[in-house]
Amino acid sequence: MERKKTYIEDIDRGIYDIKNDFTYRYKTDKGLTEDIIMEISREKNEPEWMRDFRLKSLEIYNNKPIPTWGADLSGLDIDNIITYIRPDTDMKHSWDDVPEDIKITFELLGIPQAERESLAGVGAQYDSEVVYHNIKQELIDQGIIYTDMETALKEYEDVVKEYFMKLIPPNDHKFAALHGAVWSGGSFVYVPEGVQVDIPLQSYFRLNAPGAGQFEHTLIIVEKGAKLHFIEGCSAPMYRVNNLHAGCVELFVKENATLRYSTIENWSKNMYNLNTKRAVVDKNGTIEWISGSFGSKVSMLYPMSILRGEGARSEFTGITFAAEGQHLDTGTKVVHAAPHTTSTVNSKSISKDGGYAFYRGLLRVAENAYGCKSTVSCESLMLDNISKSDTLPIIELNNDNIDIGHEAKIGRISDEAIFYLMSRGISEEEAKAMIVRGFVEPITKELPLEYAVELNNLINIELEGTIG
Amino acid sequence: MLWKRIGLKDFEFPKIHDYKKDYIKIEGKFPKEVKINRISESENKYFDIEFSGVGDKFTSFAKKYYNAGIQLRLPRNTKIVEPVKLEFHMDENNPTLVDKNLIIAEEGSEVNIIMDYYSNEKIETLHNGLTVIYAKENATVNIIKIQRLGDSSQSFDSNIAYVEGNGKVNWISVELGSYISGSNYRTYLDGEASGSNLSSIYLGDGIRKMDLEYTMIHKGPRSISNIETKGVLKDNSKKVFRGNLDFKRGSRHSKGVEEEYVILLDPTVKSDSIPALLCDEDDVEGEHAASAGQIDENKLFYLMSRGLDERESKKLVVEASFRPIIDRIPYKYLQEIIFDEIERRLIDA
Repeated sequence: MERKKTYIEDIDRGIYDIKNDFTYRYKTDKGLTEDIIMEISREKNEPEWMRDFRLKSLEIYNNKPIPTWGADLSGLDIDNIITYIRPDTDMKHSWDDVPEDIKITFELLGIPQAERESLAGVGAQYDSEVVYHNIKQELIDQGIIYTDMETALKEYEDVVKEYFMKLIPPNDHKFAALHGAVWSGGSFVYVPEGVQVDIPLQSYFRLNAPGAGQFEHTLIIVEKGAKLHFIEGCSAPMYRVNNLHAGCVELFVKENATLRYSTIENWSKNMYNLNTKRAVVDKNGTIEWISGSFGSKVSMLYPMSILRGEGARSEFTGITFAAEGQHLDTGTKVVHAAPHTTSTVNSKSISKDGGYAFYRGLLRVAENAYGCKSTVSCESLMLDNISKSDTLPIIELNNDNIDIGHEAKIGRISDEAIFYLMSRGISEEEAKAMIVRGFVEPITKELPLEYAVELNNLINIELEGTIG
Repeated sequence: MLWKRIGLKDFEFPKIHDYKKDYIKIEGKFPKEVKINRISESENKYFDIEFSGVGDKFTSFAKKYYNAGIQLRLPRNTKIVEPVKLEFHMDENNPTLVDKNLIIAEEGSEVNIIMDYYSNEKIETLHNGLTVIYAKENATVNIIKIQRLGDSSQSFDSNIAYVEGNGKVNWISVELGSYISGSNYRTYLDGEASGSNLSSIYLGDGIRKMDLEYTMIHKGPRSISNIETKGVLKDNSKKVFRGNLDFKRGSRHSKGVEEEYVILLDPTVKSDSIPALLCDEDDVEGEHAASAGQIDENKLFYLMSRGLDERESKKLVVEASFRPIIDRIPYKYLQEIIFDEIERRLIDA
């Protein structure tokens, strides 16, 4: 007997797939050579140390092998990726000055509207450069810096030099080295001691050019006792050639500070998303990750929290949705490097239509990190049996004074749950829809309102009439 | 690759001596159709399998250079209650053991097997074993493996079972000895409604390093597996636990559960857990859980308030954690051997 199944529609990518004509002021040739790096650096008018940093990273890149574990990266032809594209505009601080086609794209994505309604500041990156950046005056008055990385490198060179790629050094892995060599754009946020920002800041990264790479660098420093919520959104239209996203996010959370970092990555399905994100948390500080991975052909994304101060805390909430042709290898890493640190991981994944969702996690407790507590929970929902879903959480414990719990579950929507809801007078379709919504709900409720609405729109549930 | 985590990269086998002691112990009478013999080359075809166990090096060595082991064939519908005991008690004259074992349980048959590996503290011994089990339709194989070699010994053990429709293979693994121990159990649930339980305990003390890997591969529909592991680590011991539940396409309505619970007794222990859940089929239920922590202080305090010293109290809590697994061993004398060994390691050491 054919069993009934729940069908869930692909994410409607409508507005995300709008392409603009590929116009640019400057772009590098395809591939990667020392000359191209020199060109990027010259074009950006960078200090010498940054140019040398890029060249050194290139050397590391050339000597590192492509990782053989995780997702298949053989479709990624780095020699055919354009590493740097300057859009045909300078950075604007007024929305009206942004060129019409770029403006329309971001307006369709809801960026300026969100800014007016609920954000303290917005940055928008188009291909390799940031095209728009704005922040509310009262935040400037409090000493908050929110700008693009290029401007930060010019105006706050010392700060950038002190923190840039210190948390994710170029020799970390091949794509960190690539990032070090060709990074461009991204956001720089500095929150001074004791300043609490109540409304979120947001950056949006948009990759329009075909066959290009985006390598934005995000550097956030939250000083002692300060508080920030930062939101990052990513998208790109669908082309036939493969694109590459190898950004870096470095988050420094100082003593007693709190940073909430939310991302929704909704790249098109020709994207290799090899992003590296890392946070280091000092005494009694808190990092909260909210992470949604939807698009891309291949993702390898494992945000990492290093709890190096006593009493530091990390919380990871993630959802991954893998549909046809997607291999999303995601998870999180937590290192308890100091006593009395705590961490919580809550991960959910859905796979359908041959999609492959892989949770890969690491939890490490160092020798001296006594009194640590950690809870890891992974749940996977498979919506058909041509899909695949794997869970591999690695736990490494190096002392005894700890309390660690881990659980994982995998399966389909349970018949009992549907039966129960139906016995309460709810139709089968609605019951199934409720269960799927309930499955993702812990994530949606953590998102800022407009993103929660977007996510609900993204997961458009359609059920086949399968009564009987 | 398997040994990366416990740092055993360049292992070389010592010279393998003949194993001259008798190890097949049978009490009571078996029907004469039951054939238990020393392993011979005539059964080589059953070992022509892809199985790397604790490492290709170890399994291929066992296939070629074995010096002990049995071949046991149970005819259809033959059930034997008295256990088949294999006692590998190594000594100065028999310091190396490479055992290769084959168990074929034909349709509807049932057998209980005990494999006990022992050596005293003083002699350096090496054990490298390979056990292959075929459980045909409706057959049941219950197998208990106890590894209590001395602390100067090394132990490597690879086990694989193929289970057909409604068949069962139930493993109990007790890991108490050797300074290096690799132990690998892999069960293919090939047939519909086939099942396998793996219950294990491990105790790490001194400088013991253990790499334990338990794998359940669900191929048949409605197959059921259950892994339950309880461990205790003390001193400078290290263990790596790998538990894999693998649901292949077609294993619909199957269920797999995996649980590991470890008590950490000293700040110097190292405990890695890698539970993997692999899923190619949607209509299954898979679950794994792992937890780690110290002995519950309230329990300890209670026992000590009753006049027990700390060591005694800890031993009681450890035994209480192991007991549900040890209780599954239906032989009183074996339970006593195990509890004595645990006590020796926790109290007398």
